[in-house]
Amino acid sequence: MTCDEARGRLLDARRGRLDPEALAALRGHLQTCAACAHEDTAEALLSEVLEGRLPQHAAPVALKRRLAAEWPGTPTAGPGPWRRWGRYLVPAAAVAAVLLIVVPLAGQRASERAASRMVAEAVNDHLRILASQHPLDIESGGIHQVKPWFEGRLDFAPVIRFDGDQDFPLRGGAVGYYLDRKAAVFVFNRRLHTVSLFVFRADGLPWPARGLTPLGGGQAHVTTSRGFTSVLWRDGELGYALVSDVDPADLARLAERLAPRS
Amino acid sequence: MARNVGEAYDHGMARWGGRADTGGLGREALAYADTLYNLARYLTHNPTDAEDLVQETYARALTAAHQYTPGTNLKAWLFRILRNTFLSQYRHERHNPTVGGLDTVAPVSQGVEHTQWLRGDLELDRLRKVVGEEIERALMSLGEEARTVILLDLEGLTEVEIALVVGCPVGTVKSRLSRARAALRALLRDYAP
Repeated sequence: MTCDEARGRLLDARRGRLDPEALAALRGHLQTCAACAHEDTAEALLSEVLEGRLPQHAAPVALKRRLAAEWPGTPTAGPGPWRRWGRYLVPAAAVAAVLLIVVPLAGQRASERAASRMVAEAVNDHLRILASQHPLDIESGGIHQVKPWFEGRLDFAPVIRFDGDQDFPLRGGAVGYYLDRKAAVFVFNRRLHTVSLFVFRADGLPWPARGLTPLGGGQAHVTTSRGFTSVLWRDGELGYALVSDVDPADLARLAERLAPRS
Repeated sequence: MARNVGEAYDHGMARWGGRADTGGLGREALAYADTLYNLARYLTHNPTDAEDLVQETYARALTAAHQYTPGTNLKAWLFRILRNTFLSQYRHERHNPTVGGLDTVAPVSQGVEHTQWLRGDLELDRLRKVVGEEIERALMSLGEEARTVILLDLEGLTEVEIALVVGCPVGTVKSRLSRARAALRALLRDYAP
């Protein structure tokens, strides 16, 4: 297989459009060609960036209502109003059913998908920290050294309510990214495990509204994905994502210390 | 200006003889309002035009409802109507400097540059750090054809379905998508810090 042929099939492979023989040939080529392997990684990253960070514009509610209301017709044209009412009664009821039943259900599913996306992003960001040889931009000399370091590097001031202690020593911090925005990254340890805390602007994100767990004076979305536990919560204008593979009970203890007080 | 959907309903029902289950079609079609609006936003560049485009798309869909075959891909059918509406109306009405064919996208060499990957780690690092605003800006600076194929691919349409939407052979979709993604990557290399 030539490099041109291989690159022409990278997207097909990721979309599951290659037969087993062609897929095996492509994988064989990628193992021996660093340039094409890089191309494969870059294409995968581009897909990840497009799927996870490209802003999605939802139709305004007013437009949806207008489309639904206008579906059976308007009383401005055609036959008289009473005839029109009789003609459109069933479709109008159907549209009402759509608004009352289908739209909320669709909204719930969309909310669940959005929550999974937030969790997936937090876990991916944590994995990047684990995989990085130099995950910290500033090594910790305590929170009072780490926190001021972010000044001028972010468009917000991260608020951290816990400085680290013997159970959860603070290793340091870095500027990272969460979905479409910059984030302050704080890295704690729990014995030999790494715990990542991402602090970012909370506005405009699809925060989960269901299945929340009490945390401090507020509520958090706690879930386990790919062996990592993640805790997501809001505190005023800031959002927090805490991720690690430590015992979930340990992570809950750390989350309690970081969370807003009641 | 977008037509009233009700007028289209009257016209469509008249042509259809009133036999069709437009309620069922409507329920399905309305479920794609967000998806259609998202594509419309990226095509028109602004919320008002996007709303008009979506409204006109639904009006045309109702007018042409008799042409829709139940069981086929309704989402792709609606996308096709939306894009054709955009091309026939908005593209010619508005002076949009970024609208253009894929020919306006800087061609990417189909040959393999074996030295390029040596700079690869830098590109990967930049891609990892790019933020939503930068991706949106880069996407908007591509030509209409490039933007459309990227967004339709992102919506999960197959190359065959994209070909139906944009009205060209599957092979052309494949090459357009490849060139569009390469152009987007090149732009993101410049945008990222």
